[in-house]
Amino acid sequence: MTDMKPAWRLIPYKQYSACENMAIDEAVLQATIKNRKSPTLRFYGWNPAAVSIGFFQDAEKEVNIEKCRASGIDIVRRLTGGKAVFHKVELTYCIAAGDDDNFFPSDIMGTYKTISDCLVEGLSRLGIKACLAENGRALAENQFKACCFSAASRHELLVEGRKICGSAQKRQKGGFLQHGSLLLDFNPEESAALMLPPRSDSELRILINSVTSIKRQTGRSIAPEKICSIMEESFCAILGMTTAEAPLSAEEIELKNKLINKYNDMNWNKDKVANIF
Amino acid sequence: MKVFPEDLLYSCEHIWVKVEGDLATIGVTDYGQERLGEILSVEFSEIDSYLERDETFGSLESTKAVVDLITPVSGTIVSINEIISDDVSIINNDPHDTGWLIVIAMDDLQQLDDLLDAAGYLDFVTQEEEIE
Repeated sequence: MTDMKPAWRLIPYKQYSACENMAIDEAVLQATIKNRKSPTLRFYGWNPAAVSIGFFQDAEKEVNIEKCRASGIDIVRRLTGGKAVFHKVELTYCIAAGDDDNFFPSDIMGTYKTISDCLVEGLSRLGIKACLAENGRALAENQFKACCFSAASRHELLVEGRKICGSAQKRQKGGFLQHGSLLLDFNPEESAALMLPPRSDSELRILINSVTSIKRQTGRSIAPEKICSIMEESFCAILGMTTAEAPLSAEEIELKNKLINKYNDMNWNKDKVANIF
Repeated sequence: MKVFPEDLLYSCEHIWVKVEGDLATIGVTDYGQERLGEILSVEFSEIDSYLERDETFGSLESTKAVVDLITPVSGTIVSINEIISDDVSIINNDPHDTGWLIVIAMDDLQQLDDLLDAAGYLDFVTQEEEIE
């Protein structure tokens, strides 16, 4: 049965700057839709560390820009929604797929669930029992509303009630992109210090108790490349597909290079940039 | 059973269109807003912007995703629902009426022939649900 389905493209783990990461994700999405390609599974890291904000967020309200600059931490706006995320010791996955492939249901939550099932399987292979946050967790009005890892949405991943992976989705005509951060390690103080408004001690305690990481759960540091390999196997097992490693196409590289300029501008969402193709 | 107003036309991107002369009022269908969940933010292209059919006229963020808004007809944006900037919840609460999004002055009324009527849209969403 598996050989009936086209292989996904696998883009192996590599670290990039924040702008480059977001530009690559968008370039892959646009090329996947335009050329009706089979889905892409991409893994990446962030170097230097960065804070990403959701499409509609106001960086000046959500992020301590001065502190980020002083610490050499990039800030970038995602094409997806949600809250601010500090990316440092993490593995980010990205899936871009067209509407007409048969791997995902057409609805948002069905897509989240399908991808979450794969991630849960991968974590299980690492000895971590994760589950879907079916109902999310309500936070009081002022509790870290701006910070992604302080609240679990439905179909994001929890381990013993603590969030380990946050994801966000963008849908456009012809396809979707979902990317998400799987925490390899987490420093709540460092993360909170980069967000606005400043956190009180009690808010920080809530964050500490709301988040976990692969290191915390396994008691050891695991190389991101190793985790990627396990995650790829898990996607293949759950979805009954295969992968073929391939780099960005020339078209994607050209588009990525154009998009980097967009992502260098923190307020790119205010520019009505239409289709770049 | 889902009921969609008979006086509207519908696209497969879950956009409704109300036609008055060459003006098309556009919004998200009730089915579309249900699938999106609670809508948090929305932004539109500016008034006087010209849009080709199938072009993005804005973006919308719900608790689940950021979604492009796709116009099913080409033309110029002549009006934007300003109430939404004060109360985005009306898209969820009254999608087919006060939750309208934009008005487009159409330049090709033949494009309306490609849209679904209420019965056709009901068939479409029923099939979509069956696939899921």
